[in-house]
Amino acid sequence: MDILKTENLKSYYILEMGETKKEVKAVNDVTINIHEDEIYGIAGESGCGKSTFLKTICKLVEPPLRMIGGTIYYQIDGKYVEITEIKEEDFRKLRWKYISYIPQGSMNALNPIIRIRESFKDFFTAHQKIENEERDFEEPLKKHLSALGLPVRVLKSYPHQLSGGMRQRTTIALATILKPRIIVADEPTTALDVVAQRAVIQLLKDIQKLQKNTIILVTHDMAVHANITDRIGIMYAGMFVEEARTDDIFENPLHPYTKFLIASLPKMGDKTYKPSVPGVPPSLSNLPPGCPFHPRCPYVMDICKKEIPQLVELNTEHKSACFLNSKERVE
Amino acid sequence: MNRKNDNPEKEIEKEGLIKAKKLQKVFVVGGGFARSRLLAVDDVSFQVNKNEIFTLAGESGCGKTTVSKILLGFLEPTQGEVYYRDKNILELQKWEEKKQFMKEVQSIFQNPFETFNPLRKVDSYLHDTAKNFGMNGKKRDKKAVEEALQSVGLGMEEVQGRYPSEFSGGQLQRISIARALITKPSLLVADEPVSMVDASLRMSIVNLFKELRDEYSVSVLYITHDLATAYYVSDRIGIMFRGNIVEMGDVEEVLMNPKHPYTQMLKESIPEADPKKKWTERVSITELETEEYMRKGCKFAGRCPFVEEKCKDFMPEEFFVDGRMVRCWLYEK
Ligand SMILES: Nc1ncnc2c1ncn2[C@@H]1O[C@H](COP(=O)(O)OP(=O)(O)OP(=O)(O)O)[C@@H](O)[C@H]1O
Ligand SMILES: Nc1ncnc2c1ncn2[C@@H]1O[C@H](COP(=O)(O)OP(=O)(O)OP(=O)(O)O)[C@@H](O)[C@H]1O
Ligand code: SF4
Ligand SMILES: [Mg+2]
Ligand SMILES: [Mg+2]
Repeated sequence: MDILKTENLKSYYILEMGETKKEVKAVNDVTINIHEDEIYGIAGESGCGKSTFLKTICKLVEPPLRMIGGTIYYQIDGKYVEITEIKEEDFRKLRWKYISYIPQGSMNALNPIIRIRESFKDFFTAHQKIENEERDFEEPLKKHLSALGLPVRVLKSYPHQLSGGMRQRTTIALATILKPRIIVADEPTTALDVVAQRAVIQLLKDIQKLQKNTIILVTHDMAVHANITDRIGIMYAGMFVEEARTDDIFENPLHPYTKFLIASLPKMGDKTYKPSVPGVPPSLSNLPPGCPFHPRCPYVMDICKKEIPQLVELNTEHKSACFLNSKERVE
Repeated sequence: MNRKNDNPEKEIEKEGLIKAKKLQKVFVVGGGFARSRLLAVDDVSFQVNKNEIFTLAGESGCGKTTVSKILLGFLEPTQGEVYYRDKNILELQKWEEKKQFMKEVQSIFQNPFETFNPLRKVDSYLHDTAKNFGMNGKKRDKKAVEEALQSVGLGMEEVQGRYPSEFSGGQLQRISIARALITKPSLLVADEPVSMVDASLRMSIVNLFKELRDEYSVSVLYITHDLATAYYVSDRIGIMFRGNIVEMGDVEEVLMNPKHPYTQMLKESIPEADPKKKWTERVSITELETEEYMRKGCKFAGRCPFVEEKCKDFMPEEFFVDGRMVRCWLYEK
């Protein structure tokens, strides 16, 4: 069953500069289904709208960002609920308990002047009643940390005494203590070295195994995707242009953008020239007509310049939005 | 990019451009009872040669950024010196000399959001850089900015009139590289320039470094924790651990056949972008960063599989084996 799904989701940054109005189409017609109990990875070009997509599905849309159209459903106890219809004060109850959002750069957001334990406590009291401190706070906290393999003494530390990796793991522990059904993590491993990266990934995997929740993970590190995700969605210019099981994305990428992405991955022991995607990323406020990738695509055909290819299923669970692959072309 | 090479010394290979000599940096951390001294950088010596890409790699918090700030003259070392073209940068007196240094040595930071003032339009910042370093006249300035943007795959149209908050992290990083290229520098100090961008853009940035080295004789100090791009792009590499360079030499040697136990462990943990080669072993990191920094002997002793008594008490010296430097007692002759 799906835990979260969107239909024709659109959210734009609307910038008004005097007379002129500009729309940055950061999420442009996204229809996607995310399953229960899976780790769903999202990769794509810098600036293509990944963070904006995450903000939108977490109902964190603030001007200049506006949700222009479409729907977002959460599955809550077997029923699909349209979240744009939930009032803000009711939605607050879902935040952290139902869906947890770990934003880009959040490991630097721990309060620097209080010990980690106090951060946890502030967080806890904001969401749950503490009647008996030992039973309602200390116990579950220590249990949570040791289940995740984090040393309990981090609680006594100040953030600056912890390494970036340890801070990031602490942030993740904090965001998951209320056992959310969905964890949304934006670049949780960037700026971390490989050992710390592994520890973070291991932590996310452990949480997922223990709590059986769904993780939506955005990262540029394809090795992290290879290691942890079940499925991957590839974004380009505000759209999902390919989606498949992780193995298939790496072994048999179908969309020309994904092919470039996979071909550009460097390997140890291999110094041969690795190309990058030719040309420049499209401006999201002035998208080319037709397929958004067509000005950079080596396989471009006439139809690509006129019509927008839809994300269609080609093989089992493997979707791509490209006229090269789709049957539409033949018709 | 139309960058004429007017550097007469191009032919002189393997000549040191910037040299760090026995750098040390002490920070005082915490307050009250928790107050302590942190030896963030200790006894670090290396040089970046002309026409060379030199990488400093190592885990988070090992002191890479601190070293780069000292090299750029942004931070004073507690001990040690930095020589640029054989001049001690701490002793540059004349404004002309300082300006020349700032023009020739440009930097790219880890977090592009910190590079730009959020209240100023990005293009005016670029034009100011061109103006400040006297690129001779408005027209030339404009051209310099356009060329720099082009070399990172951006056009003026996309940048004009926009504030930093209107760009994604990756876009902003490319703009900060463009900014650094405006003055046509001899040395680029790039601190984690690719950690926030996509895989393809990573390649285009490191390919750009190669191109700058090969065609315009620009040297690059590339600071990263991404060993795969480090292997791909660099000539030589220094591996840092808790304030020391523990191994340094030719990139091919150091990464394909590491000698220091830390480099060996680092290499083992490099993730592969291949779902068939998933990590199976679990890692456990229980030592806190500050505890390792406080060690008096080898800082890796707490995690090293080959640890001996001596390692715990005495800091290993720099040993030279097979043309590379290894800071580990195992290599004492
Ligand atoms: N201004 C400062 N005051 C106190 N401690 C500092 C200061 N700057 C850095 N440190 C500490 O010095 C050590 C080295 O920091 P540095 O930023 O140089 O590491 P790094 O290798 O660049 O790490 P990263 O990969 O996370 O960027 C860290 O333990 C850090 O916490
Ligand atoms: N506040 C804003 N105002 C206007 N445009 C914005 C704003 N925030 C983001 N954008 C634009 O929206 C687009 C999508 O940004 P977003 O941060 O979602 O990208 P991303 O895919 O997460 O990129 P990255 O990989 O670099 O993190 C970008 O083109 C960016 O320039
Ligand atoms: S639809 Fe056409 S232009 Fe777009 S990716 Fe496919 S072949 Fe290329
Ligand atoms: Mg983002
Ligand atoms: Mg740093």
